[in-house]
Amino acid sequence: MIFDQNGDVCEVNKRCEVIFKLPKGKIKGQSIYNFLLDDDELIFKETISELYQNKEQISKTFGFATLASDAILYVKFDLIYSEERIYAFGIDVTQEHEEHTLLKSLSSLTKTGAWHYDPINDKVYFSDECYHLHDLEPGTSLNMVDALHYYPESSRERVKNYWDNLIDHGISYDYVDQILTKKGKKKWIRVIGEAIKHKDKVIFVNGSFSDITDQQNYIEQLKHNEETKKLALKGIRSGLFDHIIETNMVFYSKDFRRMLGLPLDTDFVPEEAFRKMIHPDDLDEAMERHKINLQKTGYHYFNHYRLKHLDGQYRHYDVYGYRKKDKEGNTIRMIGNLIDVHQKKINERTIAENHRRLTAIVNNSFAYTLLLNTSGEILIADKDSIKIIKRDFGVDPTTTTCRFIDVMPVNFKSTFAHEFNEALKGHTVKKEIERMTIKGSVQWLESKYTPIRDEENTIKSVLVVFHDITEQKTAELAIKEAHIKEQELSNLKSNILSNFSHEIRTPLNGIMTICNMLLLGEENPGDRKKLATYLDESKERLLATINNLSHFSEIETIQKNLNYVEVDMNYTVETSFREYRHFANSKNLEYILKLDENCPAAIIDEDIFSTALNNIIHNSIKYTDKGKVVIKVKNEKKKVIVSIKDSGIGIGKDNLKKIFDPFVQESIGLSRKYEGTGIGLSLSKRYIEILGGKIKVSSKLNQGTKFIITIPKNI
Amino acid sequence: MNILYVEDNKINAMVMNKMLTKNASTVVIAENGPTALEIVKDSALDLILVDINLGLNQMDGCELLKRFKKLDFLKNTPIYAVTAYAMPGDAQKFIKIGFDKYFSKPVNFEKLLAAIAKVKSKMNNQKSEH
Repeated sequence: MIFDQNGDVCEVNKRCEVIFKLPKGKIKGQSIYNFLLDDDELIFKETISELYQNKEQISKTFGFATLASDAILYVKFDLIYSEERIYAFGIDVTQEHEEHTLLKSLSSLTKTGAWHYDPINDKVYFSDECYHLHDLEPGTSLNMVDALHYYPESSRERVKNYWDNLIDHGISYDYVDQILTKKGKKKWIRVIGEAIKHKDKVIFVNGSFSDITDQQNYIEQLKHNEETKKLALKGIRSGLFDHIIETNMVFYSKDFRRMLGLPLDTDFVPEEAFRKMIHPDDLDEAMERHKINLQKTGYHYFNHYRLKHLDGQYRHYDVYGYRKKDKEGNTIRMIGNLIDVHQKKINERTIAENHRRLTAIVNNSFAYTLLLNTSGEILIADKDSIKIIKRDFGVDPTTTTCRFIDVMPVNFKSTFAHEFNEALKGHTVKKEIERMTIKGSVQWLESKYTPIRDEENTIKSVLVVFHDITEQKTAELAIKEAHIKEQELSNLKSNILSNFSHEIRTPLNGIMTICNMLLLGEENPGDRKKLATYLDESKERLLATINNLSHFSEIETIQKNLNYVEVDMNYTVETSFREYRHFANSKNLEYILKLDENCPAAIIDEDIFSTALNNIIHNSIKYTDKGKVVIKVKNEKKKVIVSIKDSGIGIGKDNLKKIFDPFVQESIGLSRKYEGTGIGLSLSKRYIEILGGKIKVSSKLNQGTKFIITIPKNI
Repeated sequence: MNILYVEDNKINAMVMNKMLTKNASTVVIAENGPTALEIVKDSALDLILVDINLGLNQMDGCELLKRFKKLDFLKNTPIYAVTAYAMPGDAQKFIKIGFDKYFSKPVNFEKLLAAIAKVKSKMNNQKSEH
């Protein structure tokens, strides 16, 4: 082919027309650019201008689209310039070019470059891909020594050895190493070198150079994953398993198999072999659960049982699994984990046991026991407290958070806050409190607030216990009461003595003064007589006092000499009534007797009954200055009631219960409002009691007093 | 010498009256507290003798003493307790509440008359000073 500077074709031979698939004479006069592939146009232009300048022969291959456009034509030309014309001698290299393109693309896709070495001329050739792998421009000057520098320093000697052995001894190599590219990228490479020998001498070396970073990374990742799995299996004290349902073989991790004493030479163990390790007591239930678990919907699996270890000890395991199912929904494979929960089980049992003990302590140690947090909310309470809180406040502190102060008896509240705060400050505080039980009895409690600290010595809760001290308190009160009684008795004794002394001294004063005067010689006979009368009156009063005293001391004797006879009570009472009519009249009192028309009779000692009654009648008249004294007899079925009611001065409430005490009448102490020994009423009471009766008194100050004597008809 | 004797027991009052009259004194008897308080208003008294137990629902001698003490014109008049309360401690008790002297019943007249004589001589001394 001959063409000019513009690429216009001047002349072609026959062969050219054939490979361009053109009819005769058609190509002549056309521009070569009509056929050139787009990619080659520029190169072609440059080549022509170079030829026109240097006029030296150039060899180059160009691609053309033939006129039929059904194939690409590659022609290798030798281009020669001569007299403004280009003479192109070409051969069809379409087939070779295609081969080359394929190899190039294979090299690029597999990230593998090729190289060869001619030891005789010490020349090395690297394919483009080799350069690419090193992030170098193809064609950069590179020999084996330069190439060595892309290896890390630690590898260089080894690689150099491979190389020397290959060149000197023809020993092929195939190694994997790391390089650092021109751009500083780390890459894993595989390098293969093979020698071609002639008469035992290396004459040529072929090799390849592949980037295997991706594979290597993948392998590294795989190794890491495997290591992770192994470490994980070692770390957790549990057994990974992979159960293939169809074959009923189970994979267990090696450590786990070692622990249970299962065979170590095979990863998979028949399920039956494993089943023998399950505790006989757990086996049936475990197998039942296993069956149900494999059939149920969803993908999860749970079981639990004890497994026998190589050392003969059984340990508790929980089994968690995930099932893989086929299209029909049958479990075909299950992967899971056997977790050793032995310590957990033991802990659970210990906790339960401790809880039972704590509950026993809480419920039985004290009357009430509560544990409060620092906000005063109930954490634990004994069952009695819970019962009371539920009953009185309708709250269950075991399920609802509630503050103790909101569910306590009202009278606790005032002191609780103080005690609780003291406890929060770290003090142990005690306080006695009183509580009314639902039955209405008084309960005395000693409350004790104890701060409870955690490991850091911080107060985290307060224990409040109530100790029932009612018995103690009752005893204390009884002692106090006994002491008061004793004091009262002692006071009574001195009062008796004091009153008695007073009652003797008063008439004695008169007697002694008169004696004195008589002895000094009172001459007036009228006066003498008067003095004698005074003397007599004082003597009478003294005697009465002494008589009363002796009556009182004679009670025991009287008791032994009673003379019981049936008497008409109307008659007996009327006799006494009559005896004091004169006295009552002298005070201008309305003096009334009301008898019972049934004429009740009673068996009594008339003497002592009359003495008792007389005392009371006398007493009533004596302390009534105006109004009336009413004496009444009333018949009842088995007893007779005699009442004596007056409108006199009355007796104060405090002294009312004391009026029957000997020598003590209403006045106690200095202001004695009653005249007399004070023995009368106590004597009356003793007499009536001897007769099996009772005497009661009711009174209002300044309104009057009523005595009621009850006498049984038949003792 | 004018003496008021507050005493509810008539016999005791009468015999005391006789006894003291013999010793050249004028004795006025009051049976209870209110009467005594009336009497002191109108009479110039040199000495007051008070029984403690003055009977049923009545003002007693101790209360009466309190009332006397409130009266300014009695501030120089000695007031003696004459009573049958004669248990140990009684004497101190009455002195403590303000009685100038205490005499237990039965009355020791020698002592009582001696005390009266002292009052009389003191009275005379005061008169002569004037």
